[in-house]
Formats: sequence, structure tokens, C-alpha cells
Amino acid sequence: MSHAFAIDIFIRVFLFAFIGVAWNLLGGYAQQLSLGHAAYFGLGAYTSTLLLIRAGVSPWIGMVAGGVVAALASLPIGALCFRLRGPYFAIATIGTAQTLMLLFLKFRDFAWGAVGTTIPNLGNSPWMMQFAAKAAYYYIALGLLALGLAVTYWVERSWMGYYLVAVGEDQAAAEAVGVNVPRIKRDIYLISAFLTGLAGTFYTQYIYFIDPNTAFSFNISVEAALVSIVGGIGTLWGPVLGSVLLEPASALAQSWLGGGAHAGVQLALYAVILIVVILWRPTGLLGALTAAYDRIVRAAPAGGPASDGTGILGTGPTVRKGLPLDG
Amino acid sequence: MAEALVVRGLSKRFGGLRAVHDLSFSVPEGQTVALIGPNGAGKTTSFNLITGYYRPDAGSALAFGQELVGLYPYDVCARGLARTFQVARPFGRMTVLANVMTGALLRDRRVTAARERARKAIDFVGLSAKENSPARELSTIDQRRLEVARALATEPRLLLLDEAMAGLNHTEIDQAVGLVKQLSQRGLTIVIVEHVMRAIMAVAQHIVVLDHGQKIAEGSPKEVAENPEVIRAYLGSGGAR
Amino acid sequence: MTAVVAQAVVNGLLIGGIYALVSIGVTLIFGVVKIVNFAQGEFVMIGMYISYFLATLIRLDPVASLAVSMPALFVCGVLLQKFVLRRVLGLGDMPQIFLTFAISLLLMNLALLLFTADYRTVQTPYTFSALRLGPLYLSVPRVIAFALAMLLSAALEIFLRTTDLGKAMRAAAQNRDVAMLMGVNPDRVFSVAVGLALALAGAAGSLLMPFYPAYPTVGQQFTLFAFVAVVLGTLGNVRGALIAGLMMGMAESLGVQFVGADSGLLVVFAMLLLTLAVRPGGLYGGQTR
Repeated sequence: MSHAFAIDIFIRVFLFAFIGVAWNLLGGYAQQLSLGHAAYFGLGAYTSTLLLIRAGVSPWIGMVAGGVVAALASLPIGALCFRLRGPYFAIATIGTAQTLMLLFLKFRDFAWGAVGTTIPNLGNSPWMMQFAAKAAYYYIALGLLALGLAVTYWVERSWMGYYLVAVGEDQAAAEAVGVNVPRIKRDIYLISAFLTGLAGTFYTQYIYFIDPNTAFSFNISVEAALVSIVGGIGTLWGPVLGSVLLEPASALAQSWLGGGAHAGVQLALYAVILIVVILWRPTGLLGALTAAYDRIVRAAPAGGPASDGTGILGTGPTVRKGLPLDG
Repeated sequence: MAEALVVRGLSKRFGGLRAVHDLSFSVPEGQTVALIGPNGAGKTTSFNLITGYYRPDAGSALAFGQELVGLYPYDVCARGLARTFQVARPFGRMTVLANVMTGALLRDRRVTAARERARKAIDFVGLSAKENSPARELSTIDQRRLEVARALATEPRLLLLDEAMAGLNHTEIDQAVGLVKQLSQRGLTIVIVEHVMRAIMAVAQHIVVLDHGQKIAEGSPKEVAENPEVIRAYLGSGGAR
Repeated sequence: MTAVVAQAVVNGLLIGGIYALVSIGVTLIFGVVKIVNFAQGEFVMIGMYISYFLATLIRLDPVASLAVSMPALFVCGVLLQKFVLRRVLGLGDMPQIFLTFAISLLLMNLALLLFTADYRTVQTPYTFSALRLGPLYLSVPRVIAFALAMLLSAALEIFLRTTDLGKAMRAAAQNRDVAMLMGVNPDRVFSVAVGLALALAGAAGSLLMPFYPAYPTVGQQFTLFAFVAVVLGTLGNVRGALIAGLMMGMAESLGVQFVGADSGLLVVFAMLLLTLAVRPGGLYGGQTR
């Protein structure tokens, strides 16, 4: 395995962990299961690319602008989609991402239509987010992931964390204790969409290409949810774990099997993994891992009081063993 | 004495069913009032109308002089009305402490302060020992206690308890009655929906009786107990639905 | 002009029968088992491939192959419920959504691997025949599909209203706890509900073959249409799903006629938005808030 290939895998792991972390804020904590986050990925990607190519704006600025555009888009989308619950919300979000894809496929004059565009190669140009050394992208992706984790950490421990989990558990009961459910959903959607938009810019700069099928790809929406569910939905490190498990496997599968006829294999594999995880450990593997760790390393039985009762789920990662997440 | 809650002409239909019809009653501040009636009489529906889960077809509900009709449940809670549910609805994934903190955060967003206030509410209902248990592991009775603690943490001026005593044994009823009395002594206005007569007689200063969505009687516990309409509603032909 | 509109409406109504079948299946599973089946369209796809292979290998007319596809998918449904869906009942939205979603993904990609992405079609003697009704042309395979779809819907309605099992299903859909107290066996009721829903999906697939190509992702559009129809027709309401399915068919047809060939998704989305904005409870839903 070449050095470049290895770095590429790391970048993918970080990137999809970041996208998963962004998704997890809405989908994991608040349990609003979106399958349309590619909408924000794409909006972020197109915003920065349009600003770059049409106006020469640095993608660093474009990235923030893209995040803002994505966040603003989440307002009307949320206003409509949140009227639905559960699977219907998911379907509505799929529809929004698909609609955006269709729109951008038609915007031939404004945004290059179905053909898309490449990012003009400016050589090593840090201000324009282009680097000769792959390592630079590695650090940016890592930085984005750190940002996402920091945001999640702060949210989890603040009043917002409690409100989000309450909404995720039981909206009617949350309303009874004063939680403004529509507002919380709107606010977390803003944050989630903003972060996802950043990822869109980064990815476009990394692969030097954008087109509607890539930017608004359903696969991105699926992976955002998948890494969180497999790793540990509604936990800080869950999406990271999920990405660490899934991304290298998927990258390797792609390189061995190639695309084309074997394109189905990767998704079929994802599907099988998802089914297995849901049937065996619906809340994700993080809980199972920490339980195993505690049983083996700390020789502690499952269950037991937390040391100080901080944190929403009563505990930090090590003591989370006490929770009967899986029954 | 000021009126904590004034309900006037409250009505709600579901399709062909008149769940609540022209309901009017008031609750003076600091009093404990019981809302009783056979199953299906419209008691929980009334709670849902007052707290904003349903919008009434007609009528109004004033809490401390402010109109509640048209508000969403979270705004109703912010105005000082807290409620429990007939079947407890804890946030299962969260611990007891986190559950109550969610209530406490309404008045003060600071987590540490909320934690302390939550602990006081938990202590009051006697769940301190289980502070860090996940809510879904609690027994039904403890979940009810949790529900009350969580409601109390929102610092209500008016508390609506929906069949909080159902299924409790003798000792537990005494404990619950004790809690309700303590709350009343602290000045909290309380409306309870209840079937457990012993508890009603022990805590209620005033009783409103519903049947088929309408008020059929109200008065002191003694007056209501001797009211022939009430007796007929409970034992007569209509009976329990 | 009116003839154009009328033709579009008729075409839409005919395909609407298929949408109705698929929607009824989704709403049945949702009403009884409280699970939203993301993979419903994939079972339509399976029905299509079953009919395709029977037509290709033993020259069995797709409509006749209903006798194979429906029982086969009924059994699939029972097995699905018994061994897979049952494990996530009561676990909340997330596992259920992603489980059926994963099943959908799996079936689509297995089909891709097994059958390739090629479009498969079946030619029958009547594939291109049409009846004339005044100025209107009625495509024969579509008429047959519509007629049989309505027949199957009626049969289901009779089953739900008159048989004990059907009544048990309706009871479970309305209030599961009380139904169980009354002695309804949830296992059997759920299995049959899922079996019937999948059988209807398979029927839709077989009925489509004379005039529609089969390919691995063909099911997705049907799932999407079905979901919107179920919301429009009120969740869990079989009659609502039927009417909404027909409405979606007509709306799509009018959209294609007057907006553009690609407007299928737009129609779906527009109808969803309209329902959400105007009557979120659906045709049969009351207003509580």
C-alpha cells in the first residue's frame, strides 16, 4: 500500500467521521433521522466553487460562506420536513436532496449543469486551499473533525444537550417541561447543516471536481447516517468509530473490486453491516465496546453508579457501561 | 383570593365524539382541586386542552390572568403550569438526574445550577438513591415519582397531576398524599385527576365532577360524595366506558 | 384540449391503480405493525423479476404469474416479519427506519449484482393493444393492471371487514394493547399483515411487466410515491391509501403532460408539501391541534 493511498484513507476516515459527527447532532441526539444531508454537503461545495471560479474568492472564505448557505437552506427545509415524524421525515429529506440535485443538473448557465466543473489547478496555493503535499489535506480534515467533536462536546454538556436528548426521546414530554421543540430542532439543524457544508467545500477542493451527482449524492447521505449508527448513535465518538471501521473497508473494497459491475458490492456490504448492527446492537458498537472493555480490563460488572453524575447519559465514556443500551 | 386557573366554556370534539363540553370551573390560588369522573369523562382531555396539547373548539383557560388557549405546551409550562402524564413518560435514555435537570433548565440555563435544583426536587420525591439510574430501569412507581420531580423542577405555580396514585398500595398512597400536602403547604396550586377516593378526600378542598365531558357537580368533598347525580354517574346505567 | 386532459387523467388513473396497491401495502404494515417499510418498492421489483423470468423461461403471461409472485411474496413477508422485523419492534424509530432501509439497499444491490442494470422487458400479445373509448385510448395492459389492482384492493377490504383475522388486524391497528387483551395473537396478525402487504407489492410488479421494464432500482420511485400517498391518505388508512394512490397517478400524469417529462419527482414533492401545508393529517385525519 503506497503512502499516498494510506493518507487518502486517513483523509476519508476523518472526513466521513466529521460528516457523521455533523449528522449525529441532529440524527443521534435529537433522533431526527435525516437521509438528505447531502443537500448541505452539495450546497457548501457549490457555494465555495462558484465563489472561487466566478469571483476568485478564496475557498477558505468560500467554505464559511458555504456553511452559511447550507445553514440558511436548513431553515425552510426544516420548516417543512419537521412537520413529519420518523420515516416520513427521512423520506422528505431524501426528496430535498434529490430536488437540489435535479435543480443543479438544470443550472447549466449558472453552475455548469450535469457536466460539473474541475477546480483550476493553481499548484501549491495555500490561500486557495490547494496543496502539493497531501499531508496538508490530512491536517485540514483532522481540523474539521476536531471542530465537529468540539462542537458536539460543548453541545452535549450544555443545556442544549439535555434538550436535544429529551426531544429525541419524547417530544410531547419534552414540551411538557418547557422545551421549545420546534426551536431546538431548527437550531440544531442549523449547526448540523453548517458543518456539513464545510465538508462539501473541503471534499471539492480535495478531489478538484464538482458535479451535481457527486455533490448531492445519496451515498453521502447514507454514509453520514451509517457511520453514526454503526459506531454509536448519539455519542461523541460513535461516528469516529463508525468511520474508522467502514471507510478503510470501503476504500479497500473499491480498489480491489473497482466500479462498474461490482459497484453493487460496496453498498450491499454496507447494507449487510447495517442490518447486522441493527439486529444485534441497535445503538451502535460503541456501547458494546465499552462494555467489553470494562468486563475484560476493569473486571467490573455491567451496571454501577457514576462517579459524579455529570453528563446527560449519566456518565462519561468509561462508565457508560452502566446503561442498558441494548437490553 | 386570586384565581390560579379559570376555565370557561371549554369544549372539544373529536369527530362525532364530544370529549369535553362547555366545561367551566375555577381554582383559587393555593388550593387543591380534584377533577373526578368515570373513565372517558374527559378529565385527561381537559388537561390536554389546558396545557396546549389540543386546541379547544371553544372556551378559554386563564392561568393567573393570562390566556392559555392558543399556546403551545412549552409556553404553557413557561407560564407556570406543569403537568404529569397518566402513563409516565420519562426520557428513558437519560438518568433520573438528567431527566429532572431537563425540567430545571427551563428557568435557568446554567447546567450546574440546574443540577442543584434538580437534586432538590429528586430529594423531595425520595428518589435520591437512584439519581444515576437510567430512567427506563425504574419501576412504574418510581417513574411516577420522577415525573413529579421533573414537573416540580420547572418551578410551577400550578401543578396538574394526572392519576398519579393509580395502582399504588396503601403505604404508597399515604406517601403520595403526604407529598401533595407538602406541596400545597408551600403554596402550590394543585389540580389532580384521580380515582383513588381516599387520596381525594385527604387532599382536595374542592371537587369538580365530570361525566361524558360535562361538569355534573362540584363542591366540597362532603357535598360531592352525597350528590345523587355523582352517585348515579359512577354506579348508574352509563357507568364506566 | 379537454381530450388531452382527459387522456392524461385516464392514463394517470390506470397507473394509479398500481401506486394504490403499493401504497396499501405500506399503510397496512404501518397500521398494524407500526413499521414504515422503506423496502416496499424493492418487493415490487422482485415481483417484476419473478414475472420476467417466468415469462422468459416458460412463456408464462405476467398476469398469470400472479399465481406465483403473490404467494411467493406472501411467504417472504411472513418470514421477514418472523425473523427480522420482530426483532426491532418497540425499539423506536431509528432501528426500524434503518433496518427496512438497509433491506431496501441490500435487495437493490443484490439485484444489481445478480441481474445487472439492464432493463428487462416482457412482450405479450397485448402489450401494444389499446381500447378506444370515444376520443380516449386505453392501453390494454394498463387497463388489466388497473382492473386487477382494484379487484385485489376490494378483496383485501372484504378480508379486513369480514374475516376474524382481518378484524383482528384492524383492531391491532387501532389499539394494540386492547387488541392483545382481547386475545388477538400479535405474531400471527403481524405476519399475515406483512405477508399480505408484500403479496400486494409482488402483484403490482407482475401487473407492471407487460408495459414497464424491470431493473434493480425500479422500486425506488414506487416506494417514494407510496410514502407520499400514505401520508396523503392518512397513515394506516387502507381506503385512504387507495384513493391517494389513484390521485398520485393522476397528478403525475398531468404533471408529465403539462410540466415536463422529468416532473415525476416534482409532483411527488409538490403533493407532499401541499399535504403538509394544508392537511398534515391526511384525507382521513382530523385536526387535533
